[in-house]
Amino acid sequence: MNRPQPRYRRSFGDLSEGALAFWLLLPAGLLLGLIALYPVLRLVYTSFFQYQLTLGPEASFNGLENYAAALRDARFWNALKNTSLIVLITVPGALVVGLLLALLANLPFRVKWPVRLGLLLPWALPLVFVGLIFQWFFDSQYGVVNDLIVRLGGERQFWLFRPDLAFWAICFTIIWKTSSFVALILLAGLQTIPKELYEAAEVDGANPFQRFWRVTLPLLTPAILVALIFRTITAFQTFDIPYAMTKGGPGNATETLAMYVRVTSIENLNFGYGSALAVLLFLLSMAITVIYLRYVRGADE
Amino acid sequence: MNPFKNPRLWVWLAAAIVVVNGFFPSVWIFFTSLKLEGELTRIPITYWPQDPTFQNYLQAFREQPLGRYFLNSVIVAVGSTLLCVGVASLAAYALARLRVPRRNLILSLLVGVSMFPVASLMVPLYQIFNELGLRNNYLALILPHAALSLPVATLTLVSFFAGIPRDLEAAAMVDGSSRLGALWRIVVPLSAPGVFTAAILAFVNSWDEFLLASTLLPAKAMRTLPVGIQLYQGEYVFPWPLISAALVVALVPVALVIAIFQERVVGGLTQGGVKG
Repeated sequence: MNRPQPRYRRSFGDLSEGALAFWLLLPAGLLLGLIALYPVLRLVYTSFFQYQLTLGPEASFNGLENYAAALRDARFWNALKNTSLIVLITVPGALVVGLLLALLANLPFRVKWPVRLGLLLPWALPLVFVGLIFQWFFDSQYGVVNDLIVRLGGERQFWLFRPDLAFWAICFTIIWKTSSFVALILLAGLQTIPKELYEAAEVDGANPFQRFWRVTLPLLTPAILVALIFRTITAFQTFDIPYAMTKGGPGNATETLAMYVRVTSIENLNFGYGSALAVLLFLLSMAITVIYLRYVRGADE
Repeated sequence: MNPFKNPRLWVWLAAAIVVVNGFFPSVWIFFTSLKLEGELTRIPITYWPQDPTFQNYLQAFREQPLGRYFLNSVIVAVGSTLLCVGVASLAAYALARLRVPRRNLILSLLVGVSMFPVASLMVPLYQIFNELGLRNNYLALILPHAALSLPVATLTLVSFFAGIPRDLEAAAMVDGSSRLGALWRIVVPLSAPGVFTAAILAFVNSWDEFLLASTLLPAKAMRTLPVGIQLYQGEYVFPWPLISAALVVALVPVALVIAIFQERVVGGLTQGGVKG
C-alpha cells in the first residue's frame, strides 16, 4: 500500500514547509529591511558624524558631539517641552472626549451609518488638511471660533499670533482629530460588555452614574489602555497639525521634535545633527512601544 | 408629558452631537468652497453660502496643477496599496498556516516597526533614495508607504487567514492545486473582507501622508495632494476659497471609500488598532 505523501511536500515543488515559509516572508522582510531597519541603522551611523551639506559634501566622524550639542541646544529642549506638553494635554484630552463620543455612539440608534460616519470622517481627514481647516477656524477676523465667542458676548482673540493661545489652539485641534479614533476603539470595547451586567446592576438599584463607574469603566479598561498607548506613541511624533497651523510659530512656541528634525535635516541640510535629533525621537517612541508590547504580551497570557 | 423624559429625544441629541462634531469641518469647507472671496471677508461671517458658485473649483485647477496632484496621489496610493496587500498576504499566509520558527518574535517586530516615527525614517530615506537616483520617482513614495502600512495589513490578514478552514485548502491541493494556487484561489477570496480592510487602511494612510511625500518627491509635477494644497498659501495670502475647493477635491475619494466600506473600516481599525 502506498501511504499518502505529506500534502505540503507534493504541492509546491520540493520545498519543505520551512523553506516555503522563508520565501513567503522574504518580500515583507526585504521591504521592511529597506524602508525601516536599514534606515534606522543608517540614522544611528550618520548621527555620529559632522555632516552638513551647506558646509561641504564631506562627513567627518565626531563621536557623540551631536548628542552633546543637542543637550546644550535650547531649541531642542523647547521642542522636547512642546512635544511632551502636547502628549500630556492631548492624550488625556482625546481619551475623555473619545470616551464621551463612544458612550453617545453606543446608544441604540435605528440608523447607524450617520453616527459611524461621524466618527470615521475625522479619522480619514488628512492631518495637514485638519491643520489648514482649523487654521481658518482660529483666524482672528473671519474664523468660526472668534465668531462664536463674539456671539456669546466674549472678545476676539489673536489665536495663532500669541504663543500660549497658538499652543492651545493646536492642542484643541489635535484632540478633535484624534478623539474619533479613540472613540472607535472604545466603542468596540463597549460592545463586548454583556447587557446582562447592566440589567443586573439596574435590578440592584444602581443609578446610571454608578453603572458607569462599577460596570462600564472596569470592563473598558483594556480598550482604554490600548487607545492610550497608541495615542501616546503617535502624539510623540506630532508634526502635521502644528506644521499646517503655525509652522512652529510664533517664534518656536509650537515647534515639536519632529518639526525640529525636519527643519534641521531637510531645510538646513544638517544631516549629522538632524540624525542625532531623530535618534532621540526614535528612542522615545521605542521606549513606549516596548512598554506597549509588554502589556499586550501580558494580556495574551 | 415632559419631553425630557422621552428617551428617544436623548438618543437623537446624542446622534446630533456625534454627527455635528464629525461632519462640521468637512461640511464647512464644502460650504466655503462655494463662496467667493467677497462673502468670506464679510463680518459677521456667513455659515450658509449666500450666493453659491463653482467658480473656486475652476480657479483652483487653474492656479495650481491640481489635476496632476490628484493623479500623483492616485498613483502613489494605488501602487502602495497593491504592493502592501500583495506582500502582506504572502507573509500573513506563512504566519497563519505554516510552522514559522520564532513566530511570536516576528509578530512583535511587526508591531514595533509600525511604531517607528516617520520623522526619524525621513532623513535616511532621503539619503537612500538620493543615492539610488530614485528621488522624484513614484517608487520613492510607493515603497515607504507600502512598508508603513505593511505591519498592520499583515496582522489584520493573519487573523483572517487563520479563520479559513484548512480542509478547504487541503481539498484544493488534493485536486492538484499548488499551495500558492490554493492561497490565491481559496484563502484570499474567502478572506476578501480582510483583504479589503487591509487595502482600505493602506490606501487612506498613503492618501493622507505628508511628511515623506514632501521630502521624497519635491518636484512640482510629482507632488501629492497634501503637499500640493499647501502651495496655494503664499507668504502673506491665504486664499481660503481656493484652498477649500482643492480640499474638497482631495477629500472626495477618501470620503467615498469610507462611506461605502464603513463597516470594514471600523472592523479593521478596532482590530488592528491603527495609527490615528
